[in-house]
Amino acid sequence: MNGLVAGYLPLFDIYLIHLGLAFSQYIVLRAGVFSLATAAFAGIGAYTAGIFAVNLGLHPALGLLAGTLTGMAAAIFLSVPLARLRGVYQAIATVAFIQICLSLNIYSENLTGGAMGLNNIPKTVGTGTLFLFAALATYLIWGIERGRLGRAFNTIRQDEAVAASLGINITRHQMLAFAISGALAGLFGGLEAYHSYALDPNQFGFHLLITTLSYVILGGRNSVVGPLIGTAILIILPEIARPLAENRMVIYGIMLIVVINYLPKGIADTAIDAIRARRLKARGDAKS
Amino acid sequence: MLAQQLLNGLVVSGVYALFSLGFTLVFGIQRILNLAHGAIFMTGAMVAYYVVDSGMPLWLGFIVAILASGLLSVLVEIVCFRRLRKTGDEEFGGIISSIGAGLVIMTIAQQVSNTQVLRFPFETFPVVIFKFWGLRVSMLQLFMASAAIILVLLLGYYVYKTAFGRRIRAVTDNEHAAMLMGINPNFIYSQTYFIAGALAGAAGVLVGLAFNSITFLMGEPYLMFAFAIIILGGLGSIPGALLASLVFGMVQTLTIAYLPSGLTDTIIFASLFLILLVRPHGLLGKEDAGNLRGRR
Amino acid sequence: MSTLKLTNLSKRFGGVVASDDVNLSVPAGKIIGLIGPNGAGKTTIVNMITGMLPVSGGHIHVGDTDITHAPAHEISRAGLARTFQNIRLLGEATVLENVMIGFHRHETSSTLAALLSLPAASSETAALKGRTLALLAEFDLQDFADYPASGLSYGHQRKVEMARAMAAEPDFVLLDEPIAGMNDVESDALAEIFQRLAANGKGVLLIEHNVRFVAKMCSYVYVLDGGRLISEGTPDDVLKDPTVISAYLGDQHHA
Repeated sequence: MNGLVAGYLPLFDIYLIHLGLAFSQYIVLRAGVFSLATAAFAGIGAYTAGIFAVNLGLHPALGLLAGTLTGMAAAIFLSVPLARLRGVYQAIATVAFIQICLSLNIYSENLTGGAMGLNNIPKTVGTGTLFLFAALATYLIWGIERGRLGRAFNTIRQDEAVAASLGINITRHQMLAFAISGALAGLFGGLEAYHSYALDPNQFGFHLLITTLSYVILGGRNSVVGPLIGTAILIILPEIARPLAENRMVIYGIMLIVVINYLPKGIADTAIDAIRARRLKARGDAKS
Repeated sequence: MLAQQLLNGLVVSGVYALFSLGFTLVFGIQRILNLAHGAIFMTGAMVAYYVVDSGMPLWLGFIVAILASGLLSVLVEIVCFRRLRKTGDEEFGGIISSIGAGLVIMTIAQQVSNTQVLRFPFETFPVVIFKFWGLRVSMLQLFMASAAIILVLLLGYYVYKTAFGRRIRAVTDNEHAAMLMGINPNFIYSQTYFIAGALAGAAGVLVGLAFNSITFLMGEPYLMFAFAIIILGGLGSIPGALLASLVFGMVQTLTIAYLPSGLTDTIIFASLFLILLVRPHGLLGKEDAGNLRGRR
Repeated sequence: MSTLKLTNLSKRFGGVVASDDVNLSVPAGKIIGLIGPNGAGKTTIVNMITGMLPVSGGHIHVGDTDITHAPAHEISRAGLARTFQNIRLLGEATVLENVMIGFHRHETSSTLAALLSLPAASSETAALKGRTLALLAEFDLQDFADYPASGLSYGHQRKVEMARAMAAEPDFVLLDEPIAGMNDVESDALAEIFQRLAANGKGVLLIEHNVRFVAKMCSYVYVLDGGRLISEGTPDDVLKDPTVISAYLGDQHHA
């Protein structure tokens, strides 16, 4: 029995790390910011943590903190120019940002190891730590959603004019969403660094962008359950069937097309809506 | 030598123009950023390769590639975007859907090509170099430049001078009104996607010939680059895309020639970022970039 | 008691003058009407007051506070609420959620508390929910609390929007064509709500097309045409004014 569980632990670890990244992508979309920059923030956090450990020999806790803070700082920095853009333009700007970070990373060989990557990072993070942080991240997102910030984010996302007329400071809230997103991505990037011995710059490029986005699209963009489910499905599925693993990208591609066209709210949100509707109907029927 | 690099830059700009025109055309007409465009470009190159590889002449490969890319582009539109138009979610949904399409196309290409680098047989295109005024021009470069010019002129004629083109512009302006006048918007959209795909496919063949290295991933750098081009030119603007292709084609060629390698990408994307900061609607785009209401 | 006051308010878009030297006053506790033919610039005025459109000239005051150039989200803090011409409810949200957002201005828990879901924040949310339900009850909407807002009838949606505007506890309410598309029964129900607002000491600016409704509700009316005020006075005076009549009937300029 232990062997069975132990066999799946690495998968669970990946799930936990990617869950954090999914939340990072989730929270910006929630606030109406079309940012795809999570991969870049994750890279910044990961390399900061890695450099803290390898080049500076500091305690992993410090490295994680540094990773979180640099991720957050990068996000806040990005939020300023992006405040003036909307929609497609924001998306393109964030993709450009990912490319810039990637290019700078490869160029700064002395600091990051360039195309060779950063190696020999001591593994100081195990499943327990990952679970702890993933649980904290889930609590954070769940709490935000139920409270004042979640309500404000929702309003901004659905109708900016209404949000402004009700006194919601759109710029400040979107900057906050960016900051949370950057912090989460930086933290989980750091966790990735301390979990997998080595970092490669291409880990934090377009490929990660697509997978992170897929988790949120598939799971749902409107409830904390979305990323939980979406990440789980996309990570477990390739393990269940070998052919799925080999054709991972095709599956992701088809999934994106099908979901955005026929189930645009994602699995979790569609289910939640259906349950809510049924409950209302039952209540209505009970009354009459 | 500067003049030589400028010449090279011109040819490169031509190819970028072919790629970016289709990209900006689709955005102009539907506000969809088709991220599968790079995969379609790659398909053009691959189709041409396989046609030539099976013994057919290059000119046939060229034509088949253009047709195939055009049709693929239409297929993508029907499968991935048509439904989104009804729900009105093209801006966000279109990007997601097109990412998916790109993944599917690229994976298929990867399987078909066995993840190998495909190269045209030697002398598929005759290797002839002309020398004049101290400059070297290969026949291939001449062909690329002329193909680009001819195709762009054809596009211009089609869009601005023919009845078909007028209908495209009518639908772009106001789909509902166009429908009331008896224009079938779906047919118009399909035409637009076909043209966009065909141009990208043509660019793909040219690039495939020029660098003789065709892989399933070859479209991605061009896609990234096209972002910069169409933003600078103004999303949806054809003349803007042409102008911006020239600018960025030159910038890229010159930076590769004169600056340490690896810096080129950073410069291009930093420029893109700067443009988005300062003037998101680019040189010739409409001023509603970012959909901001008038407020301080 | 303060007054909402527009002084020489102007708006230019390039060469086009959308609003020209508009002077208008909304005292507390009164319902003031703003009427005019289509395209007269009524919504432009509202958008300028609420900070959604930059002002080209003139001033806007709430009491002594100058809000001429205040950003949109600060207008609410100055005590102004508005409703929109085409009802803008959050389609994905329930009626309860829609109205609860109206209380944003009054939420006091810190950002940190909100982020970490500290008790201060969650108890505030719970309290807010209670207040929202009470507010809904005032509008007779409590049965709809958990229903998606987009599923309600037009008349009910209008009431939800009003409830949301009231949640902010404004001193002034700007109503942008609130009874458009309603029958008499529905508009009478809203009329009652508007009169209650004024009775509670709020200043109401009512922008409407339905001249009969305006005449019934307002103590004073301003008439706008082509961005300019062409008449003002009690409803009786204004409706008899020949300039006003020709503005509504002789529509050659506003094709």
